[in-house]
Amino acid sequence: MSGQHFGNSTCCVPGIGDKIFRQALKVRTMNSTHTSESNALLSNASNVLAITAHEFKTPLTTITSIVDLLSTKLQTDHHMTPFYEKHLSRITSEIFSLNNMLDEMLTINNILSGSIETRKELLYVEEHLVPLKEQFHSLTDDGETFEINISGTPRKIFASPSQITRILTNLVSNAFKYSRQHAPSVRLDYGDSSLAITIADDGIGIPAGDLPHLFQPYYRGSNTNGIAGTGLGLTIVKTFVSANDGDISVTSEPEKGTVFTLVFRYP
Amino acid sequence: MNARILLIEDKAGLLETLKSLLELHDYSVITARNGEEGLSMAIQHLPDLVISDIYMPAINGYELLDRFREHAQLCKIPVLITSAKKEDNEIKDAMQKGAAGYLVKPFVFAHLHEQIKKALAKH
Repeated sequence: MSGQHFGNSTCCVPGIGDKIFRQALKVRTMNSTHTSESNALLSNASNVLAITAHEFKTPLTTITSIVDLLSTKLQTDHHMTPFYEKHLSRITSEIFSLNNMLDEMLTINNILSGSIETRKELLYVEEHLVPLKEQFHSLTDDGETFEINISGTPRKIFASPSQITRILTNLVSNAFKYSRQHAPSVRLDYGDSSLAITIADDGIGIPAGDLPHLFQPYYRGSNTNGIAGTGLGLTIVKTFVSANDGDISVTSEPEKGTVFTLVFRYP
Repeated sequence: MNARILLIEDKAGLLETLKSLLELHDYSVITARNGEEGLSMAIQHLPDLVISDIYMPAINGYELLDRFREHAQLCKIPVLITSAKKEDNEIKDAMQKGAAGYLVKPFVFAHLHEQIKKALAKH
Protein backbone atom coordinates (compact mmCIF):
# COMPACT_ATOMS: atom_id res chain seq x y z
CA MET A 1 0.00 0.00 0.00
CA SER A 2 1.15 3.53 -0.73
CA GLY A 3 1.25 5.83 2.23
CA GLN A 4 1.60 9.46 3.26
CA HIS A 5 2.08 10.97 6.67
CA PHE A 6 0.93 14.43 7.57
CA GLY A 7 1.87 15.38 11.10
CA ASN A 8 1.37 18.74 12.73
CA SER A 9 5.15 19.01 13.02
CA THR A 10 5.32 19.74 9.29
CA CYS A 11 3.15 22.81 9.70
CA CYS A 12 4.72 26.09 10.75
CA VAL A 13 1.53 27.47 12.32
CA PRO A 14 -0.47 24.98 14.40
CA GLY A 15 -4.02 24.61 13.17
CA ILE A 16 -3.50 25.66 9.59
CA GLY A 17 -2.64 23.06 6.96
CA ASP A 18 -0.11 23.51 4.17
CA LYS A 19 -1.72 25.02 1.08
CA ILE A 20 -4.72 26.45 2.82
CA PHE A 21 -2.36 28.24 5.15
CA ARG A 22 -0.57 29.77 2.15
CA GLN A 23 -3.92 30.82 0.71
CA ALA A 24 -4.99 32.41 3.98
CA LEU A 25 -1.68 34.24 4.16
CA LYS A 26 -2.12 35.44 0.58
CA VAL A 27 -5.55 36.82 1.42
CA ARG A 28 -4.17 38.55 4.51
CA THR A 29 -1.21 40.00 2.56
CA MET A 30 -3.61 41.31 -0.06
CA ASN A 31 -5.68 42.80 2.74
CA SER A 32 -2.71 44.61 4.23
CA THR A 33 -1.88 46.35 0.94
CA HIS A 34 -5.44 47.22 0.00
CA THR A 35 -7.53 50.10 1.12
CA SER A 36 -9.95 49.78 3.98
CA GLU A 37 -12.75 49.77 1.37
CA SER A 38 -11.50 46.60 -0.30
CA ASN A 39 -10.94 45.02 3.13
CA ALA A 40 -14.54 45.79 3.94
CA LEU A 41 -15.61 44.27 0.61
CA LEU A 42 -13.69 41.04 1.32
CA SER A 43 -15.15 40.89 4.78
CA ASN A 44 -18.66 41.59 3.44
CA ALA A 45 -18.31 38.85 0.81
CA SER A 46 -17.31 36.42 3.52
CA ASN A 47 -20.27 37.48 5.68
CA VAL A 48 -22.71 37.20 2.77
CA LEU A 49 -21.45 33.69 2.07
CA ALA A 50 -21.84 32.71 5.75
CA ILE A 51 -25.34 34.20 6.04
CA THR A 52 -26.56 32.69 2.76
CA ALA A 53 -25.22 29.24 3.65
CA HIS A 54 -27.00 29.40 7.02
CA GLU A 55 -30.22 30.61 5.38
CA PHE A 56 -30.18 27.50 3.18
CA LYS A 57 -30.51 25.30 6.26
CA THR A 58 -34.15 26.12 6.95
CA PRO A 59 -35.50 25.12 3.50
CA LEU A 60 -33.33 22.00 3.69
CA THR A 61 -34.93 21.14 7.05
CA THR A 62 -38.38 21.80 5.57
CA ILE A 63 -37.68 19.43 2.65
CA THR A 64 -36.38 16.62 4.90
CA SER A 65 -39.43 17.13 7.14
CA ILE A 66 -41.78 16.92 4.14
CA VAL A 67 -40.10 13.64 3.13
CA ASP A 68 -40.53 12.38 6.72
CA LEU A 69 -44.16 13.52 6.66
CA LEU A 70 -44.86 11.68 3.39
CA SER A 71 -43.10 8.52 4.64
CA THR A 72 -45.06 8.56 7.90
CA LYS A 73 -48.37 9.14 6.10
CA LEU A 74 -47.68 6.35 3.56
CA GLN A 75 -46.82 3.99 6.42
CA THR A 76 -49.84 4.98 8.50
CA ASP A 77 -52.16 4.46 5.51
CA HIS A 78 -50.41 1.14 4.61
CA HIS A 79 -49.42 2.49 1.20
CA MET A 80 -45.66 2.37 1.66
CA THR A 81 -43.86 0.21 -0.91
CA PRO A 82 -40.12 -0.57 -1.24
CA PHE A 83 -40.12 1.72 -4.32
CA TYR A 84 -41.44 4.74 -2.39
CA GLU A 85 -39.20 3.94 0.56
CA LYS A 86 -36.06 3.76 -1.58
CA HIS A 87 -36.68 6.99 -3.46
CA LEU A 88 -37.88 9.02 -0.48
CA SER A 89 -34.76 7.92 1.34
CA ARG A 90 -32.69 9.05 -1.66
CA ILE A 91 -34.15 12.57 -1.40
CA THR A 92 -33.08 12.76 2.25
CA SER A 93 -29.68 11.38 1.42
CA GLU A 94 -29.15 14.00 -1.33
CA ILE A 95 -30.32 16.78 0.99
CA PHE A 96 -27.67 15.78 3.51
CA SER A 97 -25.02 15.67 0.75
CA LEU A 98 -26.00 19.22 -0.20
CA ASN A 99 -25.88 20.23 3.45
CA ASN A 100 -22.44 18.69 3.74
CA MET A 101 -21.21 20.79 0.80
CA LEU A 102 -22.62 23.91 2.46
CA ASP A 103 -20.87 23.05 5.71
CA GLU A 104 -17.59 22.54 3.87
CA MET A 105 -17.98 25.90 2.15
CA LEU A 106 -18.75 27.59 5.48
CA THR A 107 -15.81 25.94 7.21
CA ILE A 108 -13.34 26.87 4.47
CA ASN A 109 -14.74 30.42 4.54
CA ASN A 110 -14.13 30.55 8.30
CA ILE A 111 -10.62 29.13 7.97
CA LEU A 112 -9.68 31.65 5.27
CA SER A 113 -11.17 34.58 7.16
CA GLY A 114 -9.29 33.48 10.29
CA SER A 115 -12.48 33.08 12.30
CA ILE A 116 -12.09 29.42 13.22
CA GLU A 117 -12.17 28.97 16.95
CA THR A 118 -10.83 25.80 18.56
CA ARG A 119 -12.43 25.38 21.97
CA LYS A 120 -10.89 22.27 23.45
CA GLU A 121 -12.20 20.16 26.29
CA LEU A 122 -11.67 16.67 27.66
CA LEU A 123 -13.82 14.23 25.70
CA TYR A 124 -14.32 10.57 24.88
CA VAL A 125 -14.13 10.05 21.09
CA GLU A 126 -16.55 7.13 21.32
CA GLU A 127 -19.30 9.51 22.46
CA HIS A 128 -18.91 11.35 19.14
CA LEU A 129 -18.93 8.17 17.08
CA VAL A 130 -22.14 6.62 18.41
CA PRO A 131 -24.44 9.45 17.16
CA LEU A 132 -22.65 9.25 13.79
CA LYS A 133 -23.39 5.53 13.66
CA GLU A 134 -27.11 6.29 14.14
CA GLN A 135 -26.97 9.12 11.62
CA PHE A 136 -25.48 6.93 8.89
CA HIS A 137 -28.00 4.22 9.71
CA SER A 138 -30.82 6.74 9.03
CA LEU A 139 -29.23 8.21 5.91
CA THR A 140 -27.95 5.25 3.92
CA ASP A 141 -30.40 3.72 1.43
CA ASP A 142 -30.23 0.27 2.99
CA GLY A 143 -29.90 1.32 6.64
CA GLU A 144 -26.25 0.24 6.63
CA THR A 145 -23.89 1.63 9.25
CA PHE A 146 -20.28 1.11 10.37
CA GLU A 147 -18.73 -1.09 13.03
CA ILE A 148 -16.81 0.38 15.97
CA ASN A 149 -14.06 -1.81 17.43
CA ILE A 150 -12.25 -0.77 20.58
CA SER A 151 -9.05 -2.04 22.15
CA GLY A 152 -7.47 -0.85 25.41
CA THR A 153 -9.01 1.20 28.21
CA PRO A 154 -10.92 4.28 26.97
CA ARG A 155 -9.31 7.59 27.95
CA LYS A 156 -10.22 11.17 27.22
CA ILE A 157 -8.39 13.37 24.73
CA PHE A 158 -8.22 17.18 24.80
CA ALA A 159 -9.93 18.44 21.66
CA SER A 160 -12.75 20.55 20.23
CA PRO A 161 -15.99 18.48 20.25
CA SER A 162 -17.37 20.02 17.05
CA GLN A 163 -14.07 19.66 15.21
CA ILE A 164 -13.68 16.02 16.27
CA THR A 165 -17.23 15.37 15.05
CA ARG A 166 -16.41 17.10 11.76
CA ILE A 167 -13.19 15.09 11.28
CA LEU A 168 -14.99 11.80 11.92
CA THR A 169 -18.03 12.76 9.81
CA ASN A 170 -15.88 13.64 6.80
CA LEU A 171 -13.72 10.52 7.00
CA VAL A 172 -16.63 8.12 7.63
CA SER A 173 -18.71 9.81 4.94
CA ASN A 174 -15.84 9.39 2.44
CA ALA A 175 -15.43 5.75 3.49
CA PHE A 176 -19.14 5.15 2.77
CA LYS A 177 -18.96 7.02 -0.52
CA TYR A 178 -16.07 4.96 -1.86
CA SER A 179 -16.62 1.56 -0.20
CA ARG A 180 -18.00 -1.21 -2.36
CA GLN A 181 -18.90 -4.51 -0.72
CA HIS A 182 -18.68 -3.93 3.01
CA ALA A 183 -19.54 -1.07 5.32
CA PRO A 184 -16.52 0.90 6.58
CA SER A 185 -14.94 -0.01 9.89
CA VAL A 186 -13.74 2.29 12.64
CA ARG A 187 -11.18 1.22 15.26
CA LEU A 188 -10.21 3.00 18.45
CA ASP A 189 -6.90 1.76 19.86
CA TYR A 190 -6.15 3.22 23.29
CA GLY A 191 -2.38 3.00 23.73
CA ASP A 192 -0.23 4.10 26.69
CA SER A 193 0.28 7.68 25.56
CA SER A 194 -2.12 8.22 22.65
CA LEU A 195 -5.33 7.17 20.96
CA ALA A 196 -5.18 5.88 17.37
CA ILE A 197 -8.39 6.08 15.34
CA THR A 198 -8.49 4.04 12.14
CA ILE A 199 -11.17 4.45 9.46
CA ALA A 200 -10.96 1.79 6.75
CA ASP A 201 -12.95 1.01 3.62
CA ASP A 202 -12.76 -1.58 0.84
CA GLY A 203 -13.31 1.03 -1.84
CA ILE A 204 -11.75 2.17 -5.08
CA GLY A 205 -8.57 3.30 -3.32
CA ILE A 206 -6.38 6.31 -4.09
CA PRO A 207 -3.72 6.18 -6.84
CA ALA A 208 -0.19 6.68 -5.44
CA GLY A 209 0.26 9.87 -7.52
CA ASP A 210 -2.71 11.50 -5.80
CA LEU A 211 -1.62 10.83 -2.21
CA PRO A 212 0.77 13.80 -1.79
CA HIS A 213 -1.98 16.23 -2.90
CA LEU A 214 -4.86 14.67 -1.00
CA PHE A 215 -5.22 17.41 1.64
CA GLN A 216 -4.95 20.35 -0.75
CA PRO A 217 -8.13 22.41 -1.23
CA TYR A 218 -10.28 21.41 -4.24
CA TYR A 219 -7.97 18.47 -5.09
CA ARG A 220 -9.87 15.34 -6.09
CA GLY A 221 -8.45 11.88 -6.80
CA SER A 222 -7.88 11.07 -10.48
CA ASN A 223 -10.26 8.07 -10.16
CA THR A 224 -13.22 9.98 -8.64
CA ASN A 225 -14.92 11.11 -11.85
CA GLY A 226 -18.69 10.84 -11.48
CA ILE A 227 -18.52 10.74 -7.67
CA ALA A 228 -19.90 13.88 -6.02
CA GLY A 229 -17.59 15.97 -3.86
CA THR A 230 -16.09 19.43 -3.42
CA GLY A 231 -12.48 18.46 -2.75
CA LEU A 232 -12.64 20.41 0.51
CA GLY A 233 -13.48 17.64 3.00
CA LEU A 234 -9.94 16.34 3.54
CA THR A 235 -8.50 19.87 3.72
CA ILE A 236 -10.89 20.54 6.60
CA VAL A 237 -9.96 17.22 8.22
CA LYS A 238 -6.23 18.02 8.02
CA THR A 239 -6.73 21.56 9.34
CA PHE A 240 -8.83 20.39 12.30
CA VAL A 241 -6.51 17.48 13.12
CA SER A 242 -3.60 19.95 13.29
CA ALA A 243 -5.65 22.44 15.32
CA ASN A 244 -6.21 19.69 17.88
CA ASP A 245 -2.52 18.67 17.99
CA GLY A 246 -3.11 15.39 16.21
CA ASP A 247 -1.48 13.54 13.34
CA ILE A 248 -3.08 12.04 10.26
CA SER A 249 -1.73 9.43 7.87
CA VAL A 250 -3.19 7.51 4.96
CA THR A 251 -2.40 4.24 3.22
CA SER A 252 -4.23 3.13 0.12
CA GLU A 253 -4.22 0.68 -2.72
CA PRO A 254 -6.34 1.16 -5.85
CA GLU A 255 -9.21 -1.33 -6.06
CA LYS A 256 -8.44 -2.60 -2.53
CA GLY A 257 -9.29 0.25 -0.19
CA THR A 258 -8.06 3.12 1.96
CA VAL A 259 -7.11 3.43 5.63
CA PHE A 260 -6.91 6.79 7.41
CA THR A 261 -5.20 6.82 10.81
CA LEU A 262 -5.53 9.67 13.29
CA VAL A 263 -3.38 9.88 16.42
CA PHE A 264 -4.20 12.11 19.40
CA ARG A 265 -1.92 12.20 22.43
CA TYR A 266 -3.54 12.18 25.88
CA PRO A 267 -3.29 15.45 27.84
CA MET B 1 -53.37 11.59 27.39
CA ASN B 2 -51.16 12.68 24.47
CA ALA B 3 -48.35 15.06 25.30
CA ARG B 4 -48.96 18.67 24.29
CA ILE B 5 -46.12 20.33 22.42
CA LEU B 6 -45.62 24.04 21.78
CA LEU B 7 -43.73 24.57 18.53
CA ILE B 8 -42.04 27.97 18.06
CA GLU B 9 -40.64 28.65 14.57
CA ASP B 10 -40.72 31.79 12.44
CA LYS B 11 -40.55 29.99 9.06
CA ALA B 12 -44.15 29.20 8.14
CA GLY B 13 -43.37 26.22 5.86
CA LEU B 14 -41.27 24.43 8.44
CA LEU B 15 -43.75 25.22 11.21
CA GLU B 16 -46.62 23.71 9.25
CA THR B 17 -44.68 20.57 8.24
CA LEU B 18 -43.37 19.86 11.73
CA LYS B 19 -46.85 20.42 13.20
CA SER B 20 -48.34 17.85 10.77
CA LEU B 21 -45.53 15.38 11.52
CA LEU B 22 -45.97 15.69 15.28
CA GLU B 23 -49.73 15.31 14.95
CA LEU B 24 -49.25 12.15 12.85
CA HIS B 25 -47.24 10.84 15.80
CA ASP B 26 -50.22 11.55 18.10
CA TYR B 27 -48.93 14.68 19.80
CA SER B 28 -51.22 17.58 20.44
CA VAL B 29 -49.54 20.65 18.92
CA ILE B 30 -49.89 24.38 19.44
CA THR B 31 -47.75 26.83 17.48
CA ALA B 32 -46.21 30.29 17.71
CA ARG B 33 -44.37 32.34 15.05
CA ASN B 34 -41.88 34.10 17.34
CA GLY B 35 -40.45 34.01 20.85
CA GLU B 36 -42.82 36.63 22.28
CA GLU B 37 -45.91 34.82 21.05
CA GLY B 38 -44.33 31.54 22.20
CA LEU B 39 -43.81 32.86 25.70
CA SER B 40 -47.41 34.00 26.09
CA MET B 41 -48.69 30.69 24.63
CA ALA B 42 -46.50 28.79 27.09
CA ILE B 43 -47.86 30.78 30.06
CA GLN B 44 -51.43 30.32 28.83
CA HIS B 45 -51.28 26.58 27.95
CA LEU B 46 -48.41 25.18 30.06
CA PRO B 47 -47.42 22.56 27.44
CA ASP B 48 -45.53 19.34 28.30
CA LEU B 49 -42.67 20.28 25.98
CA VAL B 50 -41.48 23.20 23.86
CA ILE B 51 -39.55 22.97 20.59
CA SER B 52 -38.04 26.32 19.65
CA ASP B 53 -35.85 27.85 16.99
CA ILE B 54 -33.11 30.26 18.18
CA TYR B 55 -32.96 33.12 15.72
CA MET B 56 -36.44 34.67 15.61
CA PRO B 57 -37.90 38.15 15.76
CA ALA B 58 -38.87 39.68 19.12
CA ILE B 59 -37.61 37.26 21.80
CA ASN B 60 -34.98 34.84 20.48
CA GLY B 61 -34.45 31.26 21.66
CA TYR B 62 -31.75 32.18 24.22
CA GLU B 63 -33.92 34.87 25.80
CA LEU B 64 -36.82 32.45 25.80
CA LEU B 65 -34.72 29.94 27.78
CA ASP B 66 -33.86 32.71 30.28
CA ARG B 67 -37.53 33.66 30.69
CA PHE B 68 -38.50 30.01 31.18
CA ARG B 69 -35.81 29.51 33.82
CA GLU B 70 -36.98 32.58 35.78
CA HIS B 71 -40.66 31.55 35.72
CA ALA B 72 -42.05 29.44 38.56
CA GLN B 73 -44.11 27.14 36.31
CA LEU B 74 -42.31 27.38 32.96
CA CYS B 75 -39.00 26.33 34.52
CA LYS B 76 -40.35 22.77 34.77
CA ILE B 77 -41.11 22.51 31.03
CA PRO B 78 -38.35 20.94 28.88
CA VAL B 79 -37.28 23.07 25.89
CA LEU B 80 -35.66 21.51 22.82
CA ILE B 81 -33.69 23.91 20.66
CA THR B 82 -33.39 23.57 16.87
CA SER B 83 -30.86 25.72 15.03
CA ALA B 84 -28.76 25.93 11.88
CA LYS B 85 -25.79 26.89 14.07
CA LYS B 86 -23.59 23.98 15.03
CA GLU B 87 -20.72 25.78 16.73
CA ASP B 88 -19.67 24.51 20.19
CA ASN B 89 -20.36 27.87 21.87
CA GLU B 90 -23.93 28.04 20.51
CA ILE B 91 -24.72 24.53 21.76
CA LYS B 92 -23.02 25.12 25.10
CA ASP B 93 -24.85 28.43 25.65
CA ALA B 94 -28.22 26.80 24.99
CA MET B 95 -27.49 23.85 27.29
CA GLN B 96 -26.18 26.15 30.04
CA LYS B 97 -29.38 28.17 29.81
CA GLY B 98 -31.34 24.99 30.52
CA ALA B 99 -32.21 23.51 27.10
CA ALA B 100 -33.22 19.85 27.33
CA GLY B 101 -31.62 19.13 23.94
CA TYR B 102 -30.16 20.76 20.82
CA LEU B 103 -30.79 19.67 17.25
CA VAL B 104 -28.77 21.04 14.36
CA LYS B 105 -30.75 21.82 11.18
CA PRO B 106 -31.32 20.00 8.92
CA PHE B 107 -32.37 16.96 10.96
CA VAL B 108 -34.43 13.86 10.28
CA PHE B 109 -37.65 13.50 12.27
CA ALA B 110 -36.40 10.26 13.88
CA HIS B 111 -33.73 12.24 15.74
CA LEU B 112 -36.18 14.91 16.84
CA HIS B 113 -38.59 12.21 18.00
CA GLU B 114 -35.86 10.51 20.05
CA GLN B 115 -35.09 13.79 21.80
CA ILE B 116 -38.79 14.45 22.44
CA LYS B 117 -39.25 11.01 24.03
CA LYS B 118 -36.09 11.43 26.11
CA ALA B 119 -37.09 14.89 27.35
CA LEU B 120 -40.67 13.84 28.17
CA ALA B 121 -39.43 10.75 30.05
CA LYS B 122 -37.08 12.87 32.15
CA HIS B 123 -39.60 15.52 33.16
